[in-house]
Amino acid sequence: MKIQTQRQPGETSPWAVLSWLLIAITAYWLLPWTALEYGLGDFTAEEWVDALGWKQVRSTLVLPILLTLMIPLAWLRISAKISGGLWAVVPGLALGALLIGFTATETSMGLGATVIAICLAALFAVGMAELGFQRGDTFIAGAVIFVIFMVSVFIFFPVGEIFNNVLFDKAGIFSPFQFFRIITSFGVGRVIGNTLVLAFSVGLATTLFGLAFALYAVRATTRIRYLIKVFYILPIITPPFVVGMSLILIFGRAGMINDGLMYLLGPAGLLIPEGSPGLFERSGYIYGFLGIFLAQTLSLTPISYMVISGMLASVNPAMEEASLTMRASRWATMWHVTLPLIRPGIANAFLLGMISSAADFGNPLVLGGEYDVLSTEIYFSIAGAQLDFARAAALGIILLVLSLSIFYIQNKWIGKKSYVTVTGVETAGNVTPLPRGLQRGLTLFVVIWFFLVGLLYFSIFLGGFVKQWGADYTLTLSHHLELWSKGLESGAWPSFLNSMSYALLAAPLTTLVGVLIAYILTRKTFYGRGIIDFGTVLIFAIPGTVIGVAYILAFNTAPIELTGTAAILIITMAIRAMPVGIRGGMSALSQISTSLEEASLLQRAGSLRTIRSVLLPLLKSTIVSSMAYSFIRSMTTVSAVIFLATAGTDVATTYILSRVESGDTGVAVAYGSVLIFTMLVFTLLVQFTMGRARTDKQVKTI
Amino acid sequence: MSDASIKIVLNNVSKHFGKVRALDAVDIAFAPGTLTTLLGPSGCGKTTLLRLVSGLEPVSSGEIWFGDENVTNLSATRRDVGMVFQSYALFPHMTVEQNVGYGLRILRTKPDDISKRVQEVLEMVAMDGFQRRYPDELSGGQQQRVAVARAMVLRPKVLLFDEPLSNIDSKLRRSMRDDIRRLQQASGITSIYVTHDQAEALAVSDEIIIMRNGSIEQQGPPQALYHRPRTTFVANFIGESNVVDAELTGEGTHRQIVFGDARVDVTAGMPIADRKGPIKLSLRPEVLEIRPFENTSSSPMLHGVIVQRAYMGPVIEYTIKTRIGALFTRGPASASQFKESDEISIHIQPENIIIIPENSKA
Ligand SMILES: Nc1ncnc2c1ncn2[C@@H]1O[C@H](COP(=O)(O)OP(=O)(O)OP(=O)(O)O)[C@@H](O)[C@H]1O
Ligand SMILES: [Mg+2]
Repeated sequence: MKIQTQRQPGETSPWAVLSWLLIAITAYWLLPWTALEYGLGDFTAEEWVDALGWKQVRSTLVLPILLTLMIPLAWLRISAKISGGLWAVVPGLALGALLIGFTATETSMGLGATVIAICLAALFAVGMAELGFQRGDTFIAGAVIFVIFMVSVFIFFPVGEIFNNVLFDKAGIFSPFQFFRIITSFGVGRVIGNTLVLAFSVGLATTLFGLAFALYAVRATTRIRYLIKVFYILPIITPPFVVGMSLILIFGRAGMINDGLMYLLGPAGLLIPEGSPGLFERSGYIYGFLGIFLAQTLSLTPISYMVISGMLASVNPAMEEASLTMRASRWATMWHVTLPLIRPGIANAFLLGMISSAADFGNPLVLGGEYDVLSTEIYFSIAGAQLDFARAAALGIILLVLSLSIFYIQNKWIGKKSYVTVTGVETAGNVTPLPRGLQRGLTLFVVIWFFLVGLLYFSIFLGGFVKQWGADYTLTLSHHLELWSKGLESGAWPSFLNSMSYALLAAPLTTLVGVLIAYILTRKTFYGRGIIDFGTVLIFAIPGTVIGVAYILAFNTAPIELTGTAAILIITMAIRAMPVGIRGGMSALSQISTSLEEASLLQRAGSLRTIRSVLLPLLKSTIVSSMAYSFIRSMTTVSAVIFLATAGTDVATTYILSRVESGDTGVAVAYGSVLIFTMLVFTLLVQFTMGRARTDKQVKTI
Repeated sequence: MSDASIKIVLNNVSKHFGKVRALDAVDIAFAPGTLTTLLGPSGCGKTTLLRLVSGLEPVSSGEIWFGDENVTNLSATRRDVGMVFQSYALFPHMTVEQNVGYGLRILRTKPDDISKRVQEVLEMVAMDGFQRRYPDELSGGQQQRVAVARAMVLRPKVLLFDEPLSNIDSKLRRSMRDDIRRLQQASGITSIYVTHDQAEALAVSDEIIIMRNGSIEQQGPPQALYHRPRTTFVANFIGESNVVDAELTGEGTHRQIVFGDARVDVTAGMPIADRKGPIKLSLRPEVLEIRPFENTSSSPMLHGVIVQRAYMGPVIEYTIKTRIGALFTRGPASASQFKESDEISIHIQPENIIIIPENSKA
């Protein structure tokens, strides 16, 4: 009998191992080991050569020698234990030594060292697979290690740095009381209170309005309900602070409302007798709680609407019909049957509203006035000449904890409480109509709402074409000309092109990692998965401002120095957009039966081939839409990038905000409307082509 | 059986999912070229066993052998196993031809050879001509045939079926199961077949394995399981059965089995050795013969009252209340002389009484 007690040495071909080794060795000899003084955008040949490994530190020569010596070992297959041990231990230790070396000497990693680190991680994955990790599947082992590596470097490490900054003082001495000193210092309590009050009110308002819209869209029998479709597009394409800006145009000191009231009731107003002082003075009531509340409610209600309407649409009408046949009125049915059934959706919408309000940065920045909240306070701790990193970090921790706890409640409590089972069976088109009075009230509400929203967007559009909003409404093209006709080197073009190119690079990156994470979360269980689970929770829950602070703290110094580069902005955009990819990937993957992949494995296809031939074709539309929405999100994001954008890496949103700050409202609004318009066209194009593609060949998954 | 047929052996195989013991130290041998059915209640570990054999799931402990090769640590990709899934698992984005030829493409077969081989297996399952269709353009039964073709196209060492017919309506099921049986016998590939349906199991199998709570209750050819169930569980699971309590009395050559009014002499060959006291019997419905009430105690005879009577077309089902409990039987519909609450007698041929050898205290 032939006896094989050992696992066969892995499926990794020696050629794959060889190529990783060769890339690492080549990177050592050709690429800068330490970071170049002025980055990869600007260097001399001399600087490049100086930065090579053996020029910098002689002892690093050990690395290429070691790797060269390992080449023949790629073909050595004694037993899985020995070769696995070899490849796991040697590259693993080398990687550890490399990272520790850079950290200890406070040197910044160059491109070469980064490439080598990646190769070492890949070789480590080979070794782990040989040892049986992921059942010996090298590709999956590599993917898992890659994701853990990414999450550690770009989530855990920066978040850790926040805590590090608060718990250790500038001299590096452990000082836990610093945190308490900061959070008990003057003003912090008020900021936290403000944030909570705002989040709670916005949560309530968006839930109530979201419910109203959901009832109307799903149940009303009028045509107007089709208007609500706009809700699926507006929040996606609108940068978060634009609603705030438009509120200023309408309600601001120089806004239409103030103007109107002045005209009627101000000194020398139409309704005021000559000579009397007037009943009205221009007022800044919109700056502060009221303004932020309005802006957030307007921009977050669509999200709450989507959550609630999704749940409402899946309520089986038979239950309501059963209630109606038992002589319950429509009102009673709504109260005793429908609303209780969608209660989890309502709670979910409320919590989402709270999280989003607390995390929102753009609107409080534009409208805040005296009303300071955590997200802006974090920014102002660092911005300008303040540079109080400890304070920013401490406030960041509070915001993070706040949003993590809401997220936790949302998952643990609501996740398990859904009474509505989504069967996928189309229920017959007959829905239970609304009580008549309710429908009338809702119609009025919806019409007013859309009138207001229309007014807001119109004012943004118009604002870009008038000389000076509030003072001189002469039509002009000067704002747009200033932005777009001064060549590619000045005006809006540099930031616009930066935004475009960063977002274009971030979209595939975030989709790749997002779908990979979704794949691991839906398909794999293994020891250590908790790391990825927790990383994902953080990716979902972490507010943008916290990411911003964390990245500033983590990537401003050795060993990974990225601030000021385009790379950090691309990575930030990718992290901020990642929930899109993860969520899309998870919902698509959970609809694809695992037996398809298993059938492929049994046909001798390896896991990489299975993913390529079976999963990718089925995930095509998910991947395309995830890329598209990641792109849009990256174009409109502001909260994290505002910390990281510099003069050379300005993006559209940060440029607009800087113009708002310097009082050029006209220019800012002009740019904003172009941005919205571009995104709108892009979204419609994507939806159109996707719609076409879908009718080409209906792919059903069993 | 062809020369390539191999024996599959599971040595002391266990599988846990966290705290759940899905399989508990099972030892099984599947003879070369046979079709063995796994039968048992939901959750007893049938699918788990199949997935361990396929390599889709790793064992927690124990060994799996294909012939003289230990495959325990081989991944599914390298085990040489074909599988038909309950959901068919046809790739929705590929045509029938691409689905069936998938494995051949992976093995870099020449395109001409691929289409030849694909046509060959499609002919075997009577699906030639459907090459260009997509799975969602096929009926359930047709999809199922394509799935069988795909599982067989690489001439695997082992074929696995996980409830392949459970999504097909009952008329079609009968012809499909005969087709599967025919294909399996022609190919001689050692096969394992999971089903819920005991009639299907009896019809297609060389051997049946009855499973319960992650272990093997009994393994044997269908007749053996039907006529000599070793446990009450098996007696109840295969065919219909009235399991009743009985008593062993007497000494030496005068030993008798007593149940209700009936007494049967113990003969050599009955699997009771020299046990005494309570035992369990299985009385299949077809061996209970109903007669009008007779007040004799000659042959083994039970007395009872008909409590329920259900017309089933060709037969009538009766439930009869006796001193040893309610018994279930059938009579021909033509001779429907018995009504509810009639007093009747039940005759049983002694050789038709099945003695369940398990320790009845267990
Ligand atoms: N992936 C898994 N994780 C945890 N428990 C599992 C898993 N797969 C199976 N089990 C458990 O193992 C036991 C056996 O399951 P298995 O699927 O083998 O049953 P089965 O006999 O095929 O049942 P059915 O007839 O319903 O298909 C069950 O208790 C089941 O809950
Ligand atoms: Mg099963």
